[in-house]
Amino acid sequence: MTDNAFLLGPVFAPFAGALVTLLFWGRNRAQRWVMVLAALAALGFALAASATALIEGPQVYRLGGWQPPYGIALVLDGLTAAFLSAAAIVGFAITLYTFGCKDKQMKRSAYAPVAMMQLAALHGTFLTGDIFTFFVFMELMVISSVILVAGADDPLGIEAATKYLFISAMGTLFLLVGVGTAYATFGSLNMADIAQQSAGAGALAGVSVIILTCSFLLKSAAFPFHFWQPDFHTIAPTPIHALLSSVVVKVGVYGLIRLSTLLFPVQADAIQPALIVLGVIGIFFGSLTALRTFNVKRVLAYSTMGQIGFILISIGWGNELALTAAILYSFNHALIKSAMLMMAGWLSSQNKLKSSAIAKSRGLGQKMPLAGALFFTGGLALAGIPPLNGFISKLAVVQGGVAAAESDAAQWLILGLVVGGGILTLLYMVRLWQTIFQQAPDENTAPLKPKGEGDSILAPALLIVLCVGLGLFAQPVVALAQQVAAGLYDTAPYITAVLGG
Amino acid sequence: MGVVFALVTGVLFGLGVFQLLRRDLIKSAMGFYILFTAINLFLLAVGAFDGEVAPYVEPTTVNTLAEAVPGGTPSDPLVQALILTAIVISFGSYALLLGMLNVIGKRNKSLNADDLNALKG
Repeated sequence: MTDNAFLLGPVFAPFAGALVTLLFWGRNRAQRWVMVLAALAALGFALAASATALIEGPQVYRLGGWQPPYGIALVLDGLTAAFLSAAAIVGFAITLYTFGCKDKQMKRSAYAPVAMMQLAALHGTFLTGDIFTFFVFMELMVISSVILVAGADDPLGIEAATKYLFISAMGTLFLLVGVGTAYATFGSLNMADIAQQSAGAGALAGVSVIILTCSFLLKSAAFPFHFWQPDFHTIAPTPIHALLSSVVVKVGVYGLIRLSTLLFPVQADAIQPALIVLGVIGIFFGSLTALRTFNVKRVLAYSTMGQIGFILISIGWGNELALTAAILYSFNHALIKSAMLMMAGWLSSQNKLKSSAIAKSRGLGQKMPLAGALFFTGGLALAGIPPLNGFISKLAVVQGGVAAAESDAAQWLILGLVVGGGILTLLYMVRLWQTIFQQAPDENTAPLKPKGEGDSILAPALLIVLCVGLGLFAQPVVALAQQVAAGLYDTAPYITAVLGG
Repeated sequence: MGVVFALVTGVLFGLGVFQLLRRDLIKSAMGFYILFTAINLFLLAVGAFDGEVAPYVEPTTVNTLAEAVPGGTPSDPLVQALILTAIVISFGSYALLLGMLNVIGKRNKSLNADDLNALKG
């Protein structure tokens, strides 16, 4: 097997960007250019490597030339390709947004290096083929997100960051316990090596599965572990919020899919019903709370909780169609949610109080037809209205549910709840759009800034155009997702690619 | 040795969880660090006691593991590498946490978790 050096790009391009931005300390404009270029390079490498992986099968890069399972390998198979390309697209979009962002935090020289490290760590979690390196990248991501949020313009940032550091460090601690348990059972940390041995493993492997599942659920802010997410995400500066709420929560989802298909397919059967139940509770808790929340960013943060519920249910069903749905949903939701968050951040940057409270944004967008159209399209995409890409992913979830219900009649009930929960999304998105863009401003509404003083709308507009495009021309994406899902339970190509024939 | 480690890990884990749930954030931060130490000990106990000598390989042409490491079965070097990495990471998080608590304490004149409720809403 030959090494594919393109796999280094998504991790090391932002890493190099972080180093170069350190050289440009105090020169804000140059730092922003370096950020955009580094993220663009990472996007290029990620897309090129993903295309190779989808055509030729899993790609491997052995760091330092050490042969797995002794050395660390970066592995890019179909599942990684889906998550990595979503992360790289969103990562590029947020650097574009940062370029036109007027927050005071972006003018500090420390912002750019830390944001680049966060991106490098995010790409690393998806690419690594080794559970301990996964833990290292995850912790690096936690630390850099905490630094970015602690330095937010909002003085409450530091409180939210402390809260997140306590809770999230607990999550990574449990990941470490899970890694240790897996090492005690299998004597290996390499994912492919564990996958080879896991079928006949003893009781300790089950313990490892449970601990890892809890840790991943905490990372993806799923129902019983969600309480940190709205606070932390709402306070974060707009570009970081867009990254956190769209792709960073998907690290947990990625971990769960890896866990239930590659690492422990036998033991994971026991956790799948739990995922379905937690997903249903998450959909209703998240969507209903979003309905009665009075801050645009907070509504979207709760909405993430609901949308993660749909993905968890799909993973819980676990058949091929449902896994296709989980992959499609993760990819599309990352694009839509980051676009909507940037729209919300853009709106709050337009008003003089820089607040995203709904009462202060009432009628703010009455004279902004373009922004209104973009927000409306994004909201419909989030709710899953045809012909947008959100509809494709919701349709895929329903198909997966029908396939699951054919073998187990109780799943019809879950499917009904899922469809009902989807309507709630439409309710809160339409409510937001109406209040901000349709109603007349009242005495509480914050005054508008003069034209040209707010953030740039380029990045969310590009993402929403991409959402519409992926909805109209969904066939190739769906075909790719089906190909990936079909290959998930067949772990032989992955193991052969990593460990050699 | 295994029993002693199990006991120590268990006690440290309990202490860590208890401290973490205190209302004083400095004490919680210490609980966080104790918990990390407990997990490091757990990682050490996973592999370090299978052998009794240092994993030092003689630079000669060897065929088997017993030939390579004279004097007995080598202990597992990987867990020690893992702990080294984990210590660096936990130290970084702990330093960051204490730094942020310092700022919070200066700003609010209190480090009681009950007093820091501005995020409600």
